[in-house]
Amino acid sequence: MKGAAAGYLGQKVVEDIDLEVRTGEAVAIVGSNGAGKTTLFRAIVGLLPCMAGRVILDGVDLTRRRAHRVARAGVAYVPAERHLFPAMTVKTNLMLGAYPHRPNRETLELVFDLFPRLKERLGQQAGTMSGGEQQMLAVGRALMTQPKLLMLDEPTTGLAPKVAKAAFEAVERLKATGMTLLIAEQQVPLALSVADRAYVLENGRVRMEGTAEELEHNPEVRRAYLGVA
Amino acid sequence: MKAVLLDGIVLGLGFGLLGVGLTLVYGLGGVLNLAYGELAVLGAMVVSLVKDAGAPLALAAVAGVAAAMAAAVLLDLTVMRPVYRQSGEHRVLLGLLVTLGVAFLIEGLLNWRDPLGALTVDIGGGPIGIFGVPMPMSSIWASAITLGAGAILVVFLGATTFGRAIRSVMQDEVGARLVGISPSFTRTVIFALSGALAGLVAVTSAMSSPLTVTQGFDLTSFALIVTVVGGLGSVTGAFLAGLLLGIVDTLSAYYVGQYITSVVLLGAAGLTILIRPRGLLGR
Repeated sequence: MKGAAAGYLGQKVVEDIDLEVRTGEAVAIVGSNGAGKTTLFRAIVGLLPCMAGRVILDGVDLTRRRAHRVARAGVAYVPAERHLFPAMTVKTNLMLGAYPHRPNRETLELVFDLFPRLKERLGQQAGTMSGGEQQMLAVGRALMTQPKLLMLDEPTTGLAPKVAKAAFEAVERLKATGMTLLIAEQQVPLALSVADRAYVLENGRVRMEGTAEELEHNPEVRRAYLGVA
Repeated sequence: MKAVLLDGIVLGLGFGLLGVGLTLVYGLGGVLNLAYGELAVLGAMVVSLVKDAGAPLALAAVAGVAAAMAAAVLLDLTVMRPVYRQSGEHRVLLGLLVTLGVAFLIEGLLNWRDPLGALTVDIGGGPIGIFGVPMPMSSIWASAITLGAGAILVVFLGATTFGRAIRSVMQDEVGARLVGISPSFTRTVIFALSGALAGLVAVTSAMSSPLTVTQGFDLTSFALIVTVVGGLGSVTGAFLAGLLLGIVDTLSAYYVGQYITSVVLLGAAGLTILIRPRGLLGR
């Protein structure tokens, strides 16, 4: 995306964002609470209107498309609140991910491979599962849309540290399959551990960008986000 | 007693189908369509017109259902668009105002064109004994049509891909959008379905007693009561509530008097809100 801006009620929350994710790459957006990560994501997928700039996927302009058309174009977004279908079973949630097509067998295998727990819980109602399981299902449902780009917004929200770590291990394995990833995360060390590159978002603007390694060794990032004096 | 119960079931099935049309639209975005009863009356008047022009009853009924359906779709594509652009309380309030306005408009138009309009659907044939109670042919037809429509609806919503998509929008609109389901298209389909149900209820209810041009608001309020008791957004809940209320209605009409039944029904709805705010099967 280029020079994009978005916000609520005419008030810009993020501005002048130049962001690029190459095929097969894992890119992290890091920044503290309120930096604008979620606003940025919502604008990319069409849940919020882009007030300026463009969103382009493989040369196709998605800027003014509504969310369901962006989803069909190949951008899957897993919001922090997950937005599962709580009164439906795990199976139905996954099937709806593939909507309007029949679920792809290979993708389903991949999902079960990543999250064996989902296979065990196929008949359970999504709303009755634990936070970690719901996160797995949200990612699984997003994968069922067979996305070209998978966007994870704060995948560790509300998860115990151990579960959060397991979640990122799954992200790691997902990356190994060649999936293109864009991840927003407050827990910077976790994010930088899987990302190839990262952008640091502060007050709605890109403050820094670089490879994960560069940022990890950047004194400012170390002080502000990695808790190293 | 058996006869009263059977009459209650017949009436209740009608109530159920009436409630389903309202509850579906409500479940899909939180708007109570106060013009719902007027859609039924509009359908009834079209049936009556086509029938009087000499067309066979079945054709007239289809035309009426189609007219109510078309009116509902028109409603969705025009005045409801700005309503659904709002969210939360704004949407609910604006939705009530807009649909109330449409209700006044349709009622005014129909009253102006044909103040004495009424639809009677005559089903020939004598009564048939059911559990030893002679039931009029019209009740049997009405109930059969209602049960058939209900069954189709349950299968459509429960077992088809598109039905699942509709339910997904009901459960989480953002989630549905994220998997590529268009809430607005889904809503148009549900409005069409709701209109068709209104038209169908008009036809089946006219089988047992004439449906007049002034009955729109009665139908809307009955549908509201059924919806509240059954649980907003629940199809099976609406049918269950319809049956319950139908039986309550005929019992109170039989033992107390017809004049009191509306009060008893409203009381039942109020009691439901107090005891089970989500209705019988509401989420």
